[in-house]
Amino acid sequence: MSDALEILLLDDEPIVGKRLKPALAKIGCNVEVFQDPIAAVDRIEKKSFDIVVTDIRMDEMDGMQVLERVQARSPRTKVIMITGYAMIALAREAMEKGAFDFIAKPFKPDDLRKVIAKAAEALGSSVDFSAVNENT
Amino acid sequence: MAGMDGQNGNIQDVYDRMEIIGDARRALLERKRFNVKTQIFIANALVFVLALGVAVVLIANIYRIQRRMEFLEFANEFSIEIQQARRYEKNFFLYRTNLEDALENIHAAQAVFIANAEPFASILGRTQQQSVLRQLETYTDLLEELQEIQRKAPTRLFDAAFMGDIENRLRQNGKDMVTMAQGLMGKEKAALTRALQRSIAIHMLSLVALLVVLVINAYLLVGRIVTMLTRFSAYAQRIAAGDFTPITPRRRYRDEFTELAIAINEMIKELANREAALIQTHKMRAIGTLTAGVAHELNNPMNNIMLTAHMLMEENATLSAQERLEMLTDVADETSRAKHIVANLLDFARESAATIQTLELEKLLRDTIRLAENQVRMSGNKIELQVTDHLPAIHGDGQKLQQVFLNLILNAVDASPKGSKIQVIALPYDKAPDHVAIKVVDYGHGIPRHVLSSIFDPFFTTKAKGHGTGLGLSVSQGIVAKHGGKIVVSSEEGSGSIFTVVLPVTTFPKTIHTF
Repeated sequence: MSDALEILLLDDEPIVGKRLKPALAKIGCNVEVFQDPIAAVDRIEKKSFDIVVTDIRMDEMDGMQVLERVQARSPRTKVIMITGYAMIALAREAMEKGAFDFIAKPFKPDDLRKVIAKAAEALGSSVDFSAVNENT
Repeated sequence: MAGMDGQNGNIQDVYDRMEIIGDARRALLERKRFNVKTQIFIANALVFVLALGVAVVLIANIYRIQRRMEFLEFANEFSIEIQQARRYEKNFFLYRTNLEDALENIHAAQAVFIANAEPFASILGRTQQQSVLRQLETYTDLLEELQEIQRKAPTRLFDAAFMGDIENRLRQNGKDMVTMAQGLMGKEKAALTRALQRSIAIHMLSLVALLVVLVINAYLLVGRIVTMLTRFSAYAQRIAAGDFTPITPRRRYRDEFTELAIAINEMIKELANREAALIQTHKMRAIGTLTAGVAHELNNPMNNIMLTAHMLMEENATLSAQERLEMLTDVADETSRAKHIVANLLDFARESAATIQTLELEKLLRDTIRLAENQVRMSGNKIELQVTDHLPAIHGDGQKLQQVFLNLILNAVDASPKGSKIQVIALPYDKAPDHVAIKVVDYGHGIPRHVLSSIFDPFFTTKAKGHGTGLGLSVSQGIVAKHGGKIVVSSEEGSGSIFTVVLPVTTFPKTIHTF
């Protein structure tokens, strides 16, 4: 296993971070969880993450703005968008703007892990699913 | 029916309305019939009878005048013959001539009298007739006696004593007859004058009576028709204003206008059904819009539940009891959250009978905002509510009013650019006492001045084809009008719009029973 993937997870629903942090840790990712997009963007300015996972619809700043900030700060970072039911059009727009992929709510932890694995591959890295498979 | 007419698509209400219309129809029809046609017929018959009566009286009078004139002619003829006889009689006593002529005249007078004995008797009485007849006979007898003497013993004609006696008797008799004949003529002339005057009076009186009858008739007929026309034009205005209360009886009889009233009631039924369907259609559209937001919003709790459940399954073996409990609590909480998201919409979507009740404006607005919240959030806007403390309660149909406020809020959302806010403000209305104003304020693109006057028209829309029916404001205005209120708008292009719903605080809605 190479170096741990640095992941920033941004969703204004606290439970999303609470559940995904251990879920992604199991495949060897370092996850920083944010609910407030402003704080998350601040963090992005300071640290270059491998992958940013962000919800599209949030109150203070939406996922599209986060995507733009990430691209400006760190072009190599893969951005994965989380969308709701009615946001597919927005997700497409995000893809056009250079997001790596999108995942629609509701999703399983494994769905995100697979997208992250794909992103890791694109980064020339890989993730280790053994811990997950053991338990399921 | 407890609710207002014509606002509800609910089946029960439709049946209620049909029943009310049916009741009105029965009440309208159970009265005695008295047609306008009948009134016209009766009035004409009355005028005809009056004219007939006048004609009969006039004809009778003319007939009497005719008889009087004939009698007068007779009296005149009789008088002339008698007077002529008397002139010859005088000649005889002076010159002993003309006795034959006198006799001839008196015979003629006798003939005239006998020919007219009956009318004479009917006018002056049988006794008088007999007495005149006797006088005529006596006079004739005396003349004939003189003739006899002249023929047999002409010398006696010069017996002064004898002749004087006859002359006196003849003269007396003749004088009586002439007096009688002249008196008769005078009487008849007076009677004729009276009859002619009566005829004039009858003509005048009958004209006056006819005029009075015609005036009364016109007054009654015109009054009846004009009253009904005025009433029906008031009905038409009331219906146009959206009051679909059926017409109920106001007179003790029914007529042609009753059929019109029944037809209008049928029309009211149709209009009410259509309006109800329109309101329902519009509500379904609003529900459709809201459903998209709800579906989106539901994804959050569902996602939370899904993630938690999967992590529970994955980590089942390694989780502590404490962690497990925490995760299960999250699942339970998120499930309730999902339930609430759906419950609001279900509450609004549920078809309930229109009920008029005391409404707390703040709660109503808060519920409405919650309903629209997903839309507001999806559009990237904020909504805030400000309610003046101790605002008086209003009366109305909560669901319908919610539909109005929801419509205004959703319109505001459509008009607002991303990141702006929508304000809902409830406060006492400053232009009229006992009214409250609910303002929905947006800071969007505003409404162009030239379309401002048409925004409440049905089917008017500024939205792209397929995005608006143009019924929202028209339906909303209708609902608010039924509550005794109105919606006013002020807008400035480029800086936003304010829609103000004005509602009376203590109106009790009209029901069928108050009419």
